Amino acid sequence: MRNRYFYICLVCVVVYLFLLQPLLPVKHVGDAHAAQLELFQALMAEDIFSNAPRNPTTAFSVKQKKAVCFTSFNQVPQKLIIYHNWYHRDVPSAKIRLTLKPPRWSTYSSIELNKTDIGPWRVEITDETGNVLEVLRFSVTE
Amino acid sequence: MENFLLFISTIRWQDVVDICVNSYILFRFYVLFRGTNVFRVLIGMTVLWFLQRIAVSLGLIVTSWVVQGIVAVGAIIIIVVFRNEIRRVLQAKNFKSILWGLSYKTVTTPTEIITETVFQMADRKCGALIVFPGKEDLSGVVQGGTPWKGLITKEMIASIFWPDNPVHDGAAIVQGDQITFVSAILPLSEREDLPSHYGTRHRAALGLAEASDALVIVVSEERGDVLVAKGNRLREIKLKKTLENNLQEHLGTAAVEKSAARKEGLEIATAAMLSILFITGIWFSVSRGQDTLVSLDIPVDYINRTAGTEIVDTSVKTVSLVLSGSGALVKSVTPDQVGVRLDLNKTSVGRNTFTITSDNISLPPGIVLREVTPSEVDVLIDETRKKEFPVQIDWVGRLAANLILVDAVTDPPTVTIAGSKRILEEIATIYTEKVLLDELSGKGELTANLVLSPASLKIASGSKDKVTIQYLIRERE
Repeated sequence: MRNRYFYICLVCVVVYLFLLQPLLPVKHVGDAHAAQLELFQALMAEDIFSNAPRNPTTAFSVKQKKAVCFTSFNQVPQKLIIYHNWYHRDVPSAKIRLTLKPPRWSTYSSIELNKTDIGPWRVEITDETGNVLEVLRFSVTE
Repeated sequence: MENFLLFISTIRWQDVVDICVNSYILFRFYVLFRGTNVFRVLIGMTVLWFLQRIAVSLGLIVTSWVVQGIVAVGAIIIIVVFRNEIRRVLQAKNFKSILWGLSYKTVTTPTEIITETVFQMADRKCGALIVFPGKEDLSGVVQGGTPWKGLITKEMIASIFWPDNPVHDGAAIVQGDQITFVSAILPLSEREDLPSHYGTRHRAALGLAEASDALVIVVSEERGDVLVAKGNRLREIKLKKTLENNLQEHLGTAAVEKSAARKEGLEIATAAMLSILFITGIWFSVSRGQDTLVSLDIPVDYINRTAGTEIVDTSVKTVSLVLSGSGALVKSVTPDQVGVRLDLNKTSVGRNTFTITSDNISLPPGIVLREVTPSEVDVLIDETRKKEFPVQIDWVGRLAANLILVDAVTDPPTVTIAGSKRILEEIATIYTEKVLLDELSGKGELTANLVLSPASLKIASGSKDKVTIQYLIRERE
């Protein structure tokens, strides 16, 4: 008998929660990430050495062969996705998907440089929903 | 008949004024210079010009060159050789008489006084030689002479030819109501059929009359005769009235007889009519000839753009116009005389299609539009907006191998741009002009202009068209 009441109460609570769910304040996943995800450092560098950026710069010679966008996050609440969107003269060139893991995470993306890449570039760092967290600008020169 | 009416309807009021003004100029030219050598030479030049045109049309290359050269040189020769005659015609008139009026003899010679004095001197057997110039200039024929410029009176004439007067031995020249020169030396006639009692004074009178259109009065010192030389004739005058009539006829002061007046009126009317016909003929050949075609590429001007809108794109920048007209007019047409304008006053945002008609095209007078290619133009209109953009440095060149550009910032970091809404949506960054890295090191500051592309973009008021760049360069690790 006690078990029957218990199950009836349990079903009522479940039904109640199901019916009231649309009326409860919605907390979007992205917002939660944006609210808590904290970008600590973002810079362009020639290379990564021992998990740290080496030779930060805003002008890359094609002779360096590589440009690296390094990002470091202080607070990562949960496993998240961010994007490094590379643009050459405002034209999208690459969109690189990167995974962040709690509690702190550093990650980077890079492109190989050749002569056709000479000119001004920018990298937009966005979260999964497209919110721009930072914009880095640099040039590729001879 | 229909064609004629159609033709009449194409004549503008400017064309009528054009013909009238030039006909009148030609007519005045005739009135001012008729009877002079200048006019005769001008007639000759005109004939030569026609010959040259005929030679060109027949393809006679050398002949046309030669005649063209003669006409060109002739124009200079007229001015140089006939400068005195031209000056005399122009100086003898005020501005009003150059533009209006048919006779330029404003100062009359007192023929009665002269006649009376001449016969008194003949009675006293006092020799005299008096010259009355016609329309020709005598400066090349008469030599020497003492300027006199005295008003004509009996006493004046008598005193000049008084035997004891130092200037009596020569000719007195009468112009208007003045004796302008005395003691002038005239050319002697070389005729051998003259009577033996004619002396040097007679030969001088006839010599000048033969060489010019002047009338010369001779008073014989020995016989007391009065003679008049004109053209090739030297005839004796017995009566004062005859002499006076001769003088008046020569000087144009005689009472104009009806027939003479009618004749002169007919001459003037004929000249006026010929002037109109001549100029009308030239006008037709120049402005109505449609024998020559020319093709010009003309840029399209878009005018009266509505405030707050901008031309984003047009299907063409230039249109090709095929124009026709007379050879002379078509050859003189330059692209800057032709305009193609499209009025954007009634356009709306979006794509607008215009058909180019003759109303959109301005042409020099006498030129006719035959064809427009393309005849339709698409114009894309968009609203004008302002938007703020980040500024990015466009580095070029290369730093030294051991150096690295650590940081570079611009001041201001952003700039506000005004332009078409659609274009502003397509761009994300405003770049500086190319900034050279090669010479840079350490820390420093540069100034760079902003590059706006497309050119229709403008920097909004309040924003600068230059940025200051602060850079930091260090040695590579």
